[in-house]
This record gives sequence, structure tokens and C-alpha cells, in this order.
Amino acid sequence: MNGQGIRILLVEDNPGDRRLIQEMLAEVAGAPFVLEAADCLAAGRERLRVGDSDLVLLDLQLPDSRGHATFLAAQAQAPHVPIIVLTGLGDEQVAVQTVQAGAQDYLVKGQVDGNLLARAIRYAIERKRAELQIRKLNAELEERVVARTAELEAANQELEAFTYSVSHDLRAPLRHLDGFSKILLEDFGPQLEPAAQHNLERIREAVQHMGQLVDDLLTLARVGRQELNVQVTGLNALVSDVLAELKPEMQGREIDWQIGRLPFVECDPGLMMRVFANLLSNAVKYTRPRERAVIEVGQQVVEEQVVIFIRDNGVGFNMKYADKLFGVFQRLHRQEDFEGTGVGLATVQRIILKHGGRVWADAEVNKGAGFYFSLGAPGDVRTEAIPTPGGEG
Amino acid sequence: MTENEMEILLVEDNPADVELTLHALRHNKLANRIQLARDGEEALDFIFCRGAFSARSFNCQPKLILLDLKLPKVDGIEVLRQIKGDARTRPIPVIVLTSSKEERDMVQSYQLGVNSYVQKPVDFDQFRETVKQLGLYWLLVNQAPPPNAFTGQPRGQPK
Repeated sequence: MNGQGIRILLVEDNPGDRRLIQEMLAEVAGAPFVLEAADCLAAGRERLRVGDSDLVLLDLQLPDSRGHATFLAAQAQAPHVPIIVLTGLGDEQVAVQTVQAGAQDYLVKGQVDGNLLARAIRYAIERKRAELQIRKLNAELEERVVARTAELEAANQELEAFTYSVSHDLRAPLRHLDGFSKILLEDFGPQLEPAAQHNLERIREAVQHMGQLVDDLLTLARVGRQELNVQVTGLNALVSDVLAELKPEMQGREIDWQIGRLPFVECDPGLMMRVFANLLSNAVKYTRPRERAVIEVGQQVVEEQVVIFIRDNGVGFNMKYADKLFGVFQRLHRQEDFEGTGVGLATVQRIILKHGGRVWADAEVNKGAGFYFSLGAPGDVRTEAIPTPGGEG
Repeated sequence: MTENEMEILLVEDNPADVELTLHALRHNKLANRIQLARDGEEALDFIFCRGAFSARSFNCQPKLILLDLKLPKVDGIEVLRQIKGDARTRPIPVIVLTSSKEERDMVQSYQLGVNSYVQKPVDFDQFRETVKQLGLYWLLVNQAPPPNAFTGQPRGQPK
């Protein structure tokens, strides 16, 4: 729009209709409108290509194009120019369709007067300007999000590097603590009073616990910094391997393992094994009070996505603390009831997030808990073609 | 201790670690035969019979070297590089005994030809068990390199 008024391009083949509109626009107070006319779509597109129209009044029924297609063609030629569609009586459905596709307004020929037309034109121009502004703001927002995400990534990486180096440096003094307290207990324990021995034993327990914490933190930090080594992996095979490793913890326990058919997925097998190791050993641990533990592993489809689940009939947890579940050092049970460092689930979450997936849980106190995870977007996970044997004891 | 009695060269700078390792070795009856080096330079002087150890002879090398990686003056990797880089000392079994499980350290050590890489467990009982297994294997099960291994000539062949 320049100082010479609002430039309107009228694309209308009927000369009578054309003259009517010309007269209406000329009568508007102040004569702000400058009119250009084209009598077919091709001519209209040519004028638009030259590119100085502020608005288009577009008849849909033209000699070289009819209906919705006319609008689409005009819009394609000049996406930033507002278009008001002119329709005949009975053509309203088509007109509405064009508005849904981006036309600013539609006017029924014969039901328009000068004032209505002028108002429609002004509104259309403003609305289009607002629309373009929104698009611009959106693009800027996108850029800011990308920049912030990069900053966040960098901060995360620094934190992980720090966690790693601190945990690493803590191991040496921990070793010394464990070593000398053990030697003390062995060589001088018998000479010490029971109270003194007791204190020494508490020290050793604390050292062992700290050692476990440091190891788990190191794992968490290492997992975060690691590159994913993605391969097609059979999850049933992973579960079998984990169960073999868990045999010592299962000594003397009666556990009913219900392992269903699991898919082949694209993932890092080492990290995925750690996920199962954590979740399955948790299931074994928290079902300890049960005479007969039941642990189910399987897959289900939720909203077109494959979800792997691990469910147990253990002590469960209170859902009101569910948002703490995956936090580092967060525990929902007492140390004396169930040992642990509060890092295992944080590690699981880190691994699943690295795969672009989601992990969540639900539970009921004393009924049991279920942990669920998906990997990547819907369609990323292939369900297997080869049936795998289920059920391991 | 005569040269013939010396079986293990322990290269370790941290006094607490020296004490704990010696304790573990003693616990497993391996402690009479240990030479201690407190940094990389001392270790190399010992193995290459120079500096304070110029009276030593090359014929009398330890059966086993336990090598920490984080050492002052000359670090463990450099000590490993020099020992494995010289035909006169290459055959000596070197075990890296370190708190590091850094992949970088492992890769470098193996590429330089380390015979074994062991991460020191935090738990002292486990550490003693590890030392016991190392001692049993490398000093009893493993056949030490014969003297001719150090010159490159098998016995009976012309020099």
C-alpha cells in the first residue's frame, strides 16, 4: 500500500458486474481505492505477478477456471495478497470452502453495497497483515527454541562431564576408607568393645553404600555422554540374558516369570540391556515380601505405538509421589526396607530419552507396580515377524 | 632381598594405595618379593638399570609389574610405552592396576601391549580376592618368559 491509495485487482469476466463494482468503489468517501481489472484468471495472475496489488476481488466462475480451483490458483500466484471471493447466489458452499482455504472473505454479488464492500476490503487487508505477522512471530519463536535447546544440551553435557569426573575422583578415597576400616575390623576388632565394633561396622556400611552411589552416578553420567550404537535387537534375547544375570538375586525365591513375545527394535543393545536389568531387578527386589512373586514382561500397542511393559505384584508405591520416581537420588521406600541408591530409574529414563522414547509408571500400594516405555515415534518400532518362545522360569 | 628373590615391581604413588596393596599381597603370602617404585621415573630407572639402579643387571627383571596409571613425573602410559617398546624389556608381563575404567586408558594400554588391565574395586575384600587371583595366575600358572625371550634368540641358535 502506497500513498496513492489502496490498489484493488478485480478479476471478473462479466462486464456488467465489473462496472457495478467500479462504481461502488468510486463512490466511497475519499475515493481511496484504485481499481485495476482483469477478465480471466490468466490475466489476473499476470497482474499479480507484477506484484503491486493490495487486495484481489476474485470472481470464481471465469472463462478459464471455475470454482475452488480459481481461488487456489490466485492464492498460489500471490500468497501474501488478501483475496475476497465474489460469488453468485447459490454458490455459497464453494465460497465457504475458499475461506477455509485462506480467502479473507466472500461476498454475494447482488447483496453488496459500497459501504459493505469498502468495509470488507479494509478488514481483509488488516486480517491478512495480522496473519503474516503471526507467521513471522512463529518463525522467530522457532529460532529461539532451537537456540535455547542448544544451550540446554550444552549445559546438560557439562553437568554430565562434571558428575563423571567427580564420581571418578571419589573412588580412590572410598577405596582407602573401605580398606583401612576393614583392616581395622579384622586386626583389632576382637580387642574392641562391642560398641566400638558396632560403630566401625556402621562406617563400613556407609562406605559400601557410598561406593554403590558413586558407581551408579558414574553409570548415569556415562550413559548420558555415550553415543548410541543402534542395531536391530531382539528384546526377548536381552531379557533372557538379564534373567541369567539375576539368578543370584533369585536364590530361594519363588518367581512366576510371564515373559510375552517382545518385538525386534532398533536400539542400543548394551543400553537397552541396562534398562531391563534395572527394571527387572527392581521387580525382583520389590516383590520380596510376596511368597509368590509374579512378574510380567510384554508389549502392547497404545495409540499406534509399541509399548513395552514390566509389571509386578510387589509392594508398589504411592502414585502421589510418582513424579519423583525418576529423579536422581529420589527413593520412595526406606533404605532399611529396600536397599537402593535412587539412581537406577534416573538411568533408565536417561537411556529411554536418548532413544527418543518415553517412560512412565503406575502402581498401587501393596498391589504392585507397572513400568512402561516406548522407543521413538510411532512407526519406528518394527514388530517382529519371527515368533519367539515366551516364558522363562 | 637379592635380585633373584624379587618377583613383583609395584609402581604406585599414593601411600594409602601402597599400604593397601602391600597388605593384600601380604595377606596372600606374596609380599616378600616386592620392589616399590613411587613414580614413573623411578620405575623406568629400575627396569632399565640406570640412575639409582645402575648396579642392576638386565638379566634380573621382575616376574610381574603392577602399574598404576596416575603417576607423578612420568605417567603409567609412558612407562608402559617404554617397557613394551624395548626388546630387552618387552616380555615382562605388565598389569595395569588402576581405579580408572576410562575407555581411553584401556584402549591406549591395550594398543601399547599391556598384558592385563584390572580396575581396582572399591570393596577391599574384592580387592584382596583380585590380588590373590592375579598372584596365583601370573606367578604360578603363567610361565614366566625365559631369559632368551629378552634377547630374541631361541636357545641353541647361533647369536
